[in-house]
Amino acid sequence: MKHSPWRKFAVGILSVAILNLGMTGAASAGVVDTADLVVTDRAADMSVVRTQLDRAEVRAQMEEMGVDAAAVERRVASLNDRELHRLAADMQNAPAGGDAVWIVGAVFIVLIILELTGVIDIFKKT
Amino acid sequence: MKKRAAAPAARFAFLLVSAGLLSACVTREPFIPAHLPAGAQHVVELDATPFFPQDKYQCGPAALATVLVASKADTTPDALVPVVYLPARKGSLQVEMQAAPRQFGRLSYSLSRKLESILEELAAGRPVLVLHNYGLSFWPKWHYAVVIGYDAASDKFILRSGKKRRTEWRARTFMVAWHNGGRWAMVVLRPGETPASANPTLYLEAAADFERGASPADSRLAFDAAVQRWPEQPVAWTGRGTAEYRAGNYSGAARDYAAALRIDPNNIGARNNLAQSLLDLGCPARALEQLQAVNIDALGSPLKEAVLDTRKHIDAAIASTLVIEPSRCASQF
Repeated sequence: MKHSPWRKFAVGILSVAILNLGMTGAASAGVVDTADLVVTDRAADMSVVRTQLDRAEVRAQMEEMGVDAAAVERRVASLNDRELHRLAADMQNAPAGGDAVWIVGAVFIVLIILELTGVIDIFKKT
Repeated sequence: MKKRAAAPAARFAFLLVSAGLLSACVTREPFIPAHLPAGAQHVVELDATPFFPQDKYQCGPAALATVLVASKADTTPDALVPVVYLPARKGSLQVEMQAAPRQFGRLSYSLSRKLESILEELAAGRPVLVLHNYGLSFWPKWHYAVVIGYDAASDKFILRSGKKRRTEWRARTFMVAWHNGGRWAMVVLRPGETPASANPTLYLEAAADFERGASPADSRLAFDAAVQRWPEQPVAWTGRGTAEYRAGNYSGAARDYAAALRIDPNNIGARNNLAQSLLDLGCPARALEQLQAVNIDALGSPLKEAVLDTRKHIDAAIASTLVIEPSRCASQF
């Protein structure tokens, strides 16, 4: 959020370097994960490096956004590459379901009235 | 941001006045009867769905606990706060809501944006987690709630929401909030269940995501359900094969991979996995046959590395094999 792009960049590069220490490559002996087959089917382009950058970004943002350090690791580990990418791109603005307070309720009631009276029609075929 | 909001707000006030002037109500068609799938009950209420009143801002953990416990997972909203709550946003993100059930041995499945899907899942006995937006495009207020039923005659939905154990919503009101929220809805599945409204590709994606952290037994259940329901899908067979492989049942794995290849002979992933299974069965020559025709250079990552790796192990096994393959290999795929 307030970190300079350079710091983010450095964090990303370092994380990739550190992660690579423990990795011999994307594929290990044995069978290919079904997730990789599905992704191949959809021709998604998720490079290992990009996923690692996304992971570093999500980790940094979660810490900034007040998640406990211990929980951050577990949360990041539970996400797949597509999910990491979506979060890395939009954690600040993606819909975050929270409270439904009464002030909001008032605005909503107005919206409903507009809908019911036909002033607006949000279900118009698009 | 605050200043920019003034113009839409003024426009909004104008609309409100117009609405007052136009107060002669426009009659609108009811929603639920028009979208009810053929054969579905006209009234559904999943009364056994648990209820967890939410604490401040924490409708995410509360709603998620509701659908997880309804699927017989053992958790509570408090336990889910460190899993999905994001303090700086005072809420929970959809991506994490969707990822969390996997940590409890459950699959999550995002429904299509059609109202029919929600009705179909409810009719099949499954509560549906939805995202509502009670605000406006320039002032969104997001909220998660759980739909537990509907009544077609009165055109109402029944929800567990916030601090309310049971609240009835006119379908049109529900639709405004759901539509504004991007028409997002998800269900939680036990391994072996498939959503009533499932699309095979989306289900198999969900099952593939589930596979990563799941036990081979759970993973097998998830893909076996897909094999039963969509036997024409090669990924269903491949997924079940991989579950068999991880459980150490190499001949079962080889059988499923071979079934996938009968549907889609160009599925290199399935071919690689079949070769690997044959190798593990002690049949390196048969394994080699599978990979000989594969043009490795044309493959992308991570398939290319996987095939190269399998090939390396096959070659090593052939080089070190002093005797001819056991005769049982002839009967393998």
